[in-house]
Amino acid sequence: MYNNYGASYQEQRLQQMMEQKQLRDFMRMYTNLVARCFDDCVTDFTSNKLGDKELTCVSRCSIKNMKMNERVGQRFAEENAKLMEEQARLGR
Amino acid sequence: MFGGMFGGGAQKPAPSAGPMSSMAGAMNQNQMDPNAQLAAAEQEMEMVTDMFARLGELCNKKCLIQRYSDEELTKAESVCIDRCVTKYFHVNREVSDKLAKMSQANQ
Repeated sequence: MYNNYGASYQEQRLQQMMEQKQLRDFMRMYTNLVARCFDDCVTDFTSNKLGDKELTCVSRCSIKNMKMNERVGQRFAEENAKLMEEQARLGR
Repeated sequence: MFGGMFGGGAQKPAPSAGPMSSMAGAMNQNQMDPNAQLAAAEQEMEMVTDMFARLGELCNKKCLIQRYSDEELTKAESVCIDRCVTKYFHVNREVSDKLAKMSQANQ
C-alpha cells in the first residue's frame, strides 16, 4: 500500500519542509517587524513623509528587534538541546 | 539573514527527539511506515516552530522596553531574554508533566 521510500527521500522531503518553513517564518517575522516599528515609531501625521526622529526610531527598532530575535534563537536552541538530551536520558 | 530558531546554524533540533518524543516513543519509530514517520516529523516541526514564535513574542513583550534610545540590547534586556527562555521551557516541562499525570490518572 505504501511505497517504501528510502531514508534519503525522507531526508529530502524533511529538508524541503524545513526550508519552506524557514522561509515562511522569515516572511512572518519581517511583516511583524514592520508593523511593530510602525506602531512604536510613527506618531506624527502632519506630513506624509517620515520625520528624522521617526526614521532613527525605525532604524533602531528594526536592528534592536532583530538582535533580540537572534538572542532568543540562540537561547532556544540551547534549551531545546537540553530538553532533548533530558528526554533521551529518560528513555522516551 | 534569518537567525531563526536554529540559532544561526548552531543546532538543528532532530525530528526524532524533542517535545513530542514522549508521544513518538509510544510508537516504535522503526516499525512505523515512512508516511506516518514523515507526518510525525512534520507535526513535531510545526510544534517547535509554533513554540518558538510564541516564545519570541512573549519574551519580546515582557523584556523589550519600547523607547529605542539605542540600537543595542541593554544588559538588562539581554539577561531578561535569557531568563525568559529558560522559564518558558520550565513551564513547558511542568505543563507536560501535569498533563501526563492527569491522563494516566484517567486510565
